Amino acid sequence: MKKWIAGAVMALATMSGSAYADGHEAYPERPILMMVSYGAGGATDFQARIVTMTAGNEDALGMPIAIVNRPGAGGRVGWNWFATEAEADGYTLGAYNIPHFIAQSIEGGVSYSTDDFEPIANWGADPAVFVVGADSDFNSMEDVVTYAKENPGGLTFSGAGLFVGHHIAALQLEKAAGVKLAYIPNNAGGAGAMRAVIAGEVLGGVNNLSDAFRAQAAGNVKILGVFDLERNSFLPDVPTMKEQGFDIDNASVNFRGVMVPKGTPQPIIDKLAATVPTMFENSRVQSRMEAGGSPMHIMTRDEVLEMWAARQETLEALLAGL
Amino acid sequence: MDFLFYLDDVFTPINFGLLLLGTIGGLILGATPGLSPTMAVALLIPFTFQLEPQQGLILLGAAYTSTVAGGAVSAILLKIPGAPANIATTLDGHTMATKGEGAKALQLSFLASAVGGLFGVFLLIFLTPVLAQWALAFGPSHLFWLAILGVTVIGTLDSSSVVKGLLSGCIGLWLATIGFDDIMGAQRFIFHPAVSGGINVIPALIGLFAIPQVITMFTKGRHKAEAEVIEVKRHPIRLAILEVARRKTALAIGTLTGSIIGLIPGVGGQIAGLVAYDQAKKFSKESEKFGTGHSEGVIAAESANNAMVGPSLVPLLTLSIPGSPTAAVLLGGLLIHGIFPGPDLFINYPQVAWTFIDSMLIGQLLMCIFGLYIAGLAASVARVPHAVMAAVVLGLAVFGSYSVQNSMGDVYVMASLGLAMYFLERFGFSAAPLVLGLILGPIAEANFIQGSMIANATVGVGSYFFTGWLNWLLIVIVLASVSYSVWMEIAQRRYTTKDDAVAKEEALP
Amino acid sequence: MTELPRNQHILASGIIAVVGATVAYISFTQEPADAFIFPRLISSVFAVLAVWTFIKAVMGRTKVGNGVSAAAMRNMLPGLIVTVIYIFWAAKALGFYTATAIAFFVLLSLYDPAPHGQLRTWIKRVLITAGFMAVMYGLFALLLNVFTPREVFF
Repeated sequence: MKKWIAGAVMALATMSGSAYADGHEAYPERPILMMVSYGAGGATDFQARIVTMTAGNEDALGMPIAIVNRPGAGGRVGWNWFATEAEADGYTLGAYNIPHFIAQSIEGGVSYSTDDFEPIANWGADPAVFVVGADSDFNSMEDVVTYAKENPGGLTFSGAGLFVGHHIAALQLEKAAGVKLAYIPNNAGGAGAMRAVIAGEVLGGVNNLSDAFRAQAAGNVKILGVFDLERNSFLPDVPTMKEQGFDIDNASVNFRGVMVPKGTPQPIIDKLAATVPTMFENSRVQSRMEAGGSPMHIMTRDEVLEMWAARQETLEALLAGL
Repeated sequence: MDFLFYLDDVFTPINFGLLLLGTIGGLILGATPGLSPTMAVALLIPFTFQLEPQQGLILLGAAYTSTVAGGAVSAILLKIPGAPANIATTLDGHTMATKGEGAKALQLSFLASAVGGLFGVFLLIFLTPVLAQWALAFGPSHLFWLAILGVTVIGTLDSSSVVKGLLSGCIGLWLATIGFDDIMGAQRFIFHPAVSGGINVIPALIGLFAIPQVITMFTKGRHKAEAEVIEVKRHPIRLAILEVARRKTALAIGTLTGSIIGLIPGVGGQIAGLVAYDQAKKFSKESEKFGTGHSEGVIAAESANNAMVGPSLVPLLTLSIPGSPTAAVLLGGLLIHGIFPGPDLFINYPQVAWTFIDSMLIGQLLMCIFGLYIAGLAASVARVPHAVMAAVVLGLAVFGSYSVQNSMGDVYVMASLGLAMYFLERFGFSAAPLVLGLILGPIAEANFIQGSMIANATVGVGSYFFTGWLNWLLIVIVLASVSYSVWMEIAQRRYTTKDDAVAKEEALP
Repeated sequence: MTELPRNQHILASGIIAVVGATVAYISFTQEPADAFIFPRLISSVFAVLAVWTFIKAVMGRTKVGNGVSAAAMRNMLPGLIVTVIYIFWAAKALGFYTATAIAFFVLLSLYDPAPHGQLRTWIKRVLITAGFMAVMYGLFALLLNVFTPREVFF
């Protein structure tokens, strides 16, 4: 018993001692937190839990990553906290959603922008798709746009919120087709927006490809188009918007990945940037993501930095027209 | 009768072991302040990565069932509701515990939970296709009216004055608007950084219920223990069963309310207990005893919040839409194994789907058995000296509210609301309506805004909110509920003098 | 039955009325107006009910609520001070476990009726504190992996 206590005291002393040392060689020495700015059970939360499940392995970080949810206002609550209050010690990671936080920072009223975060790596890319109920009269995007031209501002369609990927897709569609639409943001996120489509509360909706794929498999919706540059391997039969004659690029594709707050020590950023992408490549992670219908898209820190800068430019141009 | 066919699968050694683990673990997690069923199930998801799909779901199903019931333990013994579902349980349950009837309260709550829970799971088994349509029937306008219906309950809930009940409700509704508005993203009433993310319901719950109780214990000072030795009554399980059987009205109201409300996506779980409590009070012959440690209060609240477990999964299993946060987490548990819920689920993966449902069925029984066992041990909590009790509750409140989202701000919110609530209670306000306002506020607002946006694009606000039989049904119930409250207020005035009201207050601790 | 403390009721309902009026004022003046439709509705009802309650209190017609007696106030004050220092300062500054242990022990010593003079009393208090801390550590740190602020010791 005495020995055990002595051991515990020793362990504690070394733990607190080395944590304050200059070097970061030993990082990480304790479990790491990852903040997800959407609720438990949402697509981002679900994927974050899968891609971090092997963090405790010796060939990854060697310490588990615990998910903390800070949902609210389309992600603003979580990212605001992450930019202003999260400690930049490498033990607090955050999940980012592009274009959501960039669009929100351009729109204003929040205390973050791309300058406040340091990306680590990207794990997934989930394009937006246009869905209608299974018994809807619409069979292509042309039908949708024709209806919208006959009823300006009368085509109701749901999405997960304002200034998130779905809303960006909606704005692009309005611009490319030259019509006025009625975008209805849903407070219950993507799941709520999908429910509104299935229940017939709205005529259509923009939703995540992964969720729409599942809803289509269940026979609840038809998918009319993908807001991406190329067709998706999950849905090889669904044409892109460009194929249907609308000049829409991949600005609304929902990129998900890991970041840390600005001010995190460079050695820690380097270590994470080197380890985290390999963690995503783990075969168990890959197979679980595949099984869940979540498209993966692994990018390194440098690639993500480039992608962020590119999105910033596109979105500024798109939102300036509002 | 497919579910009987797959019942054997639950009893293989590994599966049954997991079921036991899920049930016991769920009771512990459920009883931990700050850990809602959603969080508890989310914490268990990583464990299911290692298991077969069927086994993983057995673990999750058992855990979901027993965390909801486990919340009653801290609600009754410590007056810390673990989740919104258990608020109504504190009202009579904790009063019973302070009178030394903790064992009885726990026994009643677990028995009522099991009855409600079994009924809910049977609904899921037999009526899923019918119920799925019902779950889709509620659009923004209906949810708005439903939230308003909830608000009308506020005035009659646990308060001796309707005006003060409504005022408490308004304070709750206002508190809910603090932070970013959910749809527009505008910032409202952010007067301190701690509330910049809005007021999280769970820390608020802990503060509003636990802290006033801690302060009340402080007010007793350092007086001698002998002065208030409470006789801890042992309570045979047989009597508890008889009591539950005798209170048929409360049990039926609780079970039905829970099952119906549990179906409605996004609203159900949080308010089922409170609505059932209020209804049981209105229909009871002894409605004046509610709030003073009356068994019907516990039975109605707990049967309702477990009855909602089964129906809340209907939209998920048939339409692949998670109807509640917990259902969304369970969806994740299915997806990682490549199982997509939907109408084909029972055809493609009958073994997984039916075993999952069976595990909830057996889980209800196991939960009841373990619960009754705990009840015997936990009853002596009334004998804990109030100094120790105050310190324990305070410590648990701080850790519990911090652990919700690792936030110091939540702890400050918890403490500030709790301190304010103590004084409010001393002046005739009560916590239950305030919390109901806090929960219903965002539901009412978001659905009103969404409804108006759809209405403006299509038929106009007037016809959107005032046409269709479901809208009118809800409006009629709202009007009935309001007139009932007004009538009660007027009727009571004839014979309620100031002294009566004070006497009732004094009866409360 | 003692008379309800009228002055206390006037003070309490007065504070609530002021809060209600402030909330209403903010709701009706803040922009963007779209985001404040619902707060305007709520705060109007809030303010009206609060003023009504205040008027009733001034007229001495409040029916429920017993206020806070002087004796209760005296008894709770030390506990309140410890609670406020613990939550709003010590928990963060000293670390969760250290602060909780100290606050727990102090509260126990303040409100435990056992005589202060005996060694046994103090040993009992220390043991109860240690037991509680062990449970908290096991539950939150080991089982749930919650990382609480740590400054002094752990």
